[in-house]
Amino acid sequence: MKKILRLALIDFKIIFRDPSLRVFLVLPVILFVLIVWLVPYLVAKYEFLVPYLSLMLVGAVIENTQMYSFISSMVLIDEKETNVAKTYGVVPLTKRQYILSRMLIPYLFTVALNVILFWVQPFFTIGWGTNLILSLLAGLVVPVYVLAINAIAENRMQGMVYVKAFNLLVLVPIVAFFVPDNFKHLFGIFPTHWVFQSVNNATLGLPFGWLAAIGFLFFGVLLWWVSKLFIRKHFV
Amino acid sequence: MIQVENLEFQYPGNDSPTLKGLNFEIDKGEVFGFLGPSGAGKSTTQKVLYKILNGYRGSVWIDGKDLSGWDNTYFGKIGVGFELPNHYLKLTGRENMDLFASFYPDGRKQKVEELFEMVDLQEALNKRVEAYSKGMKMRLNFIRAIQHNPDILFLDEPTAGLDPVNAHKIKQHILDLKAAGKTIFVTTHNMNTADEICDRVSFIVDGELKTTDSPQKLKSQYGKEAIRVELKDGRMEEFPLDKLGENTAFLTFIKQAEVKHIQTLEASLEEVFIQITGKSLVS
Repeated sequence: MKKILRLALIDFKIIFRDPSLRVFLVLPVILFVLIVWLVPYLVAKYEFLVPYLSLMLVGAVIENTQMYSFISSMVLIDEKETNVAKTYGVVPLTKRQYILSRMLIPYLFTVALNVILFWVQPFFTIGWGTNLILSLLAGLVVPVYVLAINAIAENRMQGMVYVKAFNLLVLVPIVAFFVPDNFKHLFGIFPTHWVFQSVNNATLGLPFGWLAAIGFLFFGVLLWWVSKLFIRKHFV
Repeated sequence: MIQVENLEFQYPGNDSPTLKGLNFEIDKGEVFGFLGPSGAGKSTTQKVLYKILNGYRGSVWIDGKDLSGWDNTYFGKIGVGFELPNHYLKLTGRENMDLFASFYPDGRKQKVEELFEMVDLQEALNKRVEAYSKGMKMRLNFIRAIQHNPDILFLDEPTAGLDPVNAHKIKQHILDLKAAGKTIFVTTHNMNTADEICDRVSFIVDGELKTTDSPQKLKSQYGKEAIRVELKDGRMEEFPLDKLGENTAFLTFIKQAEVKHIQTLEASLEEVFIQITGKSLVS
């Protein structure tokens, strides 16, 4: 545990000392300002926006996951580009411990951000249990995203390109909100679809447990698979 | 300490194996050198030995135990000095050292200040590594590899990027580690380094070992045990080293004019390498 925490703390040092990463830490603040003050102001002024409140919240939830997805992706790509990753291959730290140490804090931090977001958003009443389930589910975007990017990108430049592509991919299931109900689960091939639908149902007071369960299962399998790919490539 | 039999390794996607049946042994307390041009398989061999590359064929025994049978405790037993500097640039030298020391069950065996002083980096201890020169980063590589007092050291081009003074110091530290009983596996294409520090060397070309012996024996075997004497009047002659002091021809020759030059005709390690492999070390 000590080893895991040590590495997690080092990540904070690296992020705070790198101006190009540090700046991304303000993203959630901007997002919270939008959700707490700007959106309510706009909704009060333009009533036609009301039906889209759930969708806006879905967007905010996924954007919350993007901050650490980007930062952690860049930290690990940098580690690979500077060959530091190789050093982790020859120390008494298992690959699973390594992944846990690098992903645990980003995951928990993102979960915390979403818990706060569901709590402070002024549009829907969301209970603490629901809040926690939705936040834990949405947070899983971060490790899957980071490990997948690092399993395929060889350097920072490639990493930036994949980040752009992944940013688009995570948002694709938003289209499901604009197609007939019969077709919306076609977007279930994208894991974030199950996050979006869970949040949507929860905000509308509809059952969301089965949607979240599929989401947890989907992300669980993806996490197992991308971890294997990541381990095969990162330390060589 | 290290026994390798019929080691073969092929990278996925490659048509042919990179290592083609290597056989060698390294004794405890020995400095063993792998000499070969770039792409010969030196680093691949080391990567197999420090368990970065799996899927090899043949057998590798470390300290009497099959390599595949070693768990994570193996990494506490070995230290690896990589060919290229690899550190967190945004962290200081001390922070880099502390981080990697924290992964070992017994931590660091020597004070970090002493390790930095050992390689003349004491002034840079609390500076971020991004401010280090390449040579400084290489010295940091070296002390990171030895900070947990490993029994076996894998050093890939340990003097690469170092100025002659620091290269000499690192070589001396390697010899000190040997004297302390450490087993050291060095890969290099710098024959001077190999000649100075290795008890035995193997020549590797295209994934095959061509020969293994001590540098001294190889140089004697492939060179002449003789000297060449050149006089200032331009005359030059060769004499065998055997009983040179009693060789009247030699004694008469050097009295005929002032001696300009005397050189041994022992081959250099590079010349031996070229003779055996038909290839040059520098590529």
